[in-house]
Amino acid sequence: MQDLIGLLKAAGSLMSLQPLFVLSMGTVLGILAGAMPGVSPSMGVALMVPFTYAMNPSMALVFLSAMYLAANYGGSITAVTINTPGTPSAVVTAFDGYPMAKKGRAGEALGVSLVASVVGGVVGIIVLILFSGPLARLALKFWPAEYFSLAVLGLSTIASMGGQNAMKCAISAVLGLLICTIGMDSILGVSRFTFGNVNLFDGFEFIPMLIGLLALSEVFTEVEKFNFAAESVAGSAKAKWPSLGYYWKLRMSMLRASLIGTIVGIFPGAGATIATFISYDVEKRVSRTPEEFGEGMPEGVAAAEGANSASVGGALVPMLTLGIPGSATAAVLMGALMIHNLQPGPELFVKSPEIVYTLFASLLIANIVLLILGLAGSRLWINVTRVRKEILFPLIFAFAMIGSYAVNSSMWDVMVCLGFGILGYILKRYGYPLPPLVLGVVLGEMAEVNLRRAVMMAGPTAIFQRPGSVALLVIAALSFAIPMLQARKAKQRA
Amino acid sequence: MNNNRVRMLFVTLAAVLILSFAAGAAAKNPFPSKPIRIINYVAPGGLMDVTTRKFTDVASKYTDAVFVVENRTGAGGLIGAEYVLGQPADGYTIFAPTTSVVVQVVATGSDVDKYIWGFDWVSMLMKDPECIISNVKLPIHDWADIVKDAKAKGGDQIWVGPSTGGNDHLMAMKVWDKAGISAMWIPFESGPKAMAALMGGQGVAYVGNPADTTGRPDLIVCAVSSDERLPQYPDAPTFKELGVPDLDDEIMWRGFSVKKGTPPEAVAWLQDLVEKVANDPEWKTFFEEQAIEVVAYRTDEFTGIVKKNVEDAEKYFKQFGIIK
Repeated sequence: MQDLIGLLKAAGSLMSLQPLFVLSMGTVLGILAGAMPGVSPSMGVALMVPFTYAMNPSMALVFLSAMYLAANYGGSITAVTINTPGTPSAVVTAFDGYPMAKKGRAGEALGVSLVASVVGGVVGIIVLILFSGPLARLALKFWPAEYFSLAVLGLSTIASMGGQNAMKCAISAVLGLLICTIGMDSILGVSRFTFGNVNLFDGFEFIPMLIGLLALSEVFTEVEKFNFAAESVAGSAKAKWPSLGYYWKLRMSMLRASLIGTIVGIFPGAGATIATFISYDVEKRVSRTPEEFGEGMPEGVAAAEGANSASVGGALVPMLTLGIPGSATAAVLMGALMIHNLQPGPELFVKSPEIVYTLFASLLIANIVLLILGLAGSRLWINVTRVRKEILFPLIFAFAMIGSYAVNSSMWDVMVCLGFGILGYILKRYGYPLPPLVLGVVLGEMAEVNLRRAVMMAGPTAIFQRPGSVALLVIAALSFAIPMLQARKAKQRA
Repeated sequence: MNNNRVRMLFVTLAAVLILSFAAGAAAKNPFPSKPIRIINYVAPGGLMDVTTRKFTDVASKYTDAVFVVENRTGAGGLIGAEYVLGQPADGYTIFAPTTSVVVQVVATGSDVDKYIWGFDWVSMLMKDPECIISNVKLPIHDWADIVKDAKAKGGDQIWVGPSTGGNDHLMAMKVWDKAGISAMWIPFESGPKAMAALMGGQGVAYVGNPADTTGRPDLIVCAVSSDERLPQYPDAPTFKELGVPDLDDEIMWRGFSVKKGTPPEAVAWLQDLVEKVANDPEWKTFFEEQAIEVVAYRTDEFTGIVKKNVEDAEKYFKQFGIIK
């Protein structure tokens, strides 16, 4: 009850011109930062921190949190329109969003990604407000053994990715895992496959690698197939936007995605990207037409974007209850609060509850603002899909190069992007699917490091000693075996 | 006619001379005449990132110079160091390292002459005492119990902290050595993640700085490396009180360095600015609330401290088998 009063009070105080303006600015900048490959949500928010010095702490928080939320959505725009995820967590959005756009259904894909983001955002924040206490205790029960098993569960989703090519799918995933072994080993500090090159000490930077694998490889493949004489006008003349009924049909997908995103988001060692993979997998298993995933299923887009935006609320759970940021962007938010002499953590509820309620209220209102601005913006973004391909492809190429450079202002990353673009093109050409590779890259380090930590702590049987870990492993085994058994049964019947 | 031509020549020559003097004067404009970039080795939101951004904010009271803070992360600071070394030594690119960068250079077996002595260590900003942090919710949380438990477990006691071969790992080795115990170091991706591990009871101790306990009520400082108890943490005993010798001045510093060969006037300008900022009440209270001592050490004193860091790191990393 006290929460509700505090929340309403804070929401009321945001309902005037200045806070709403600040909130809208944050949302617009967030969408732009998210949409630009190379500017991650955390980098975007950090760039804006100096502008908040002059604001009072509540306004600063309103501005930055709106930006955080919007940036997580912004990544989906480029993922859908040009297959270039603006943020790592938008990779999965591209799996179905881009095929939809290619089929002239960009309007639907953009609409679904926006609405799913808003639903996810709202659910995440409601969970944050209501259950942050017990959820934080759950987060602390996650030891390295559990993190390892969660990573295994994430990897088990490749079983449903393969379709006909289980072998090629497995090879692709293993390649992803192997790529993760490059760099300084973070347990003992031994350098692996770095050949003394300082740029390789931390392995390959994630964003350039992703842009190369997804966007560049697509450009190469398309250019190869492209018939310059025949294709003059690309894309449909008129965009179709989904109706309310269309969204209503996706409500369960969005809700499932939101819950998965929030829960996975609370674990500081997991993150939004893993949440989107798990959510996508669940949606595929629930679906009656799993074979159409990857070809342009709105449920796939909803699963990815819902989970990704819900993780914002999730990542704030450990920040507000334990003083531990749940994501890179939450860490920046914490830094900003500290500059304003506010220490995030459980004492914040006692010392300055108005700040906490302002944060909650501004995130809720930011979702509404995001919906309005996003709907208006989508009318603009969709024009990208109408650009003629001979103009669009060179632009995507240039965009990929700039985006890769922007991450660290380093030419090395541009080379990484090019290299992975070529690798992605070759793999595609020979029928090796790319999603398992991306999954391997996302989860490889998490699996390896946590397994080693667990074994150091409790010996070789560490992962079987903790009930949480065993439960996750059992789910992983089932999720791996069931699609295989089903496939065999189907074969026998045929 | 002839006279006229001579006069023309004279006027032209004079004009050329005046112009070139003017240009020379412009080139000798006092430092700085363009924006100064501070290169951070941590991601946005990291400790040194917050520090440099706060510095530029406070410094704007004392100078019109424009600062741009850039984050070039990776390889424990080597990427940032490498970048600064690749820029001209003109004072317009400043590196913002902490003890961790120096220690990491040694731990990774990288070139000390290049990554450490390729810099002039011009300004040390602050001293943050190192400390051992424990979790009051766990049965073992005061220093005596930690020592007893470590001896009973014979090397299997778990300490958590940030990266292997970082400053906190080095501190842990020193403590084990001086207290005559042995334990296991389990590294995490970041300080906060390691603290979450301590809160969840995965280990008994975390190595960090006193301010790490702020806003985290379960965590307490159970031993601190300083001469006397810190006024901000009156309940935290010093190593000396606990009977552990030679651990009275283990710190994490934060500072500025520039590429070797930077002109002295640029260095002096920065050092003067640091002094002004160090005396600023806003700057002072911001850090002193976190039990950090604000200083403005110049090249000699700072270089001495860096030298000691290198020697310590080489000694302990060899002793514990991190480097050969």
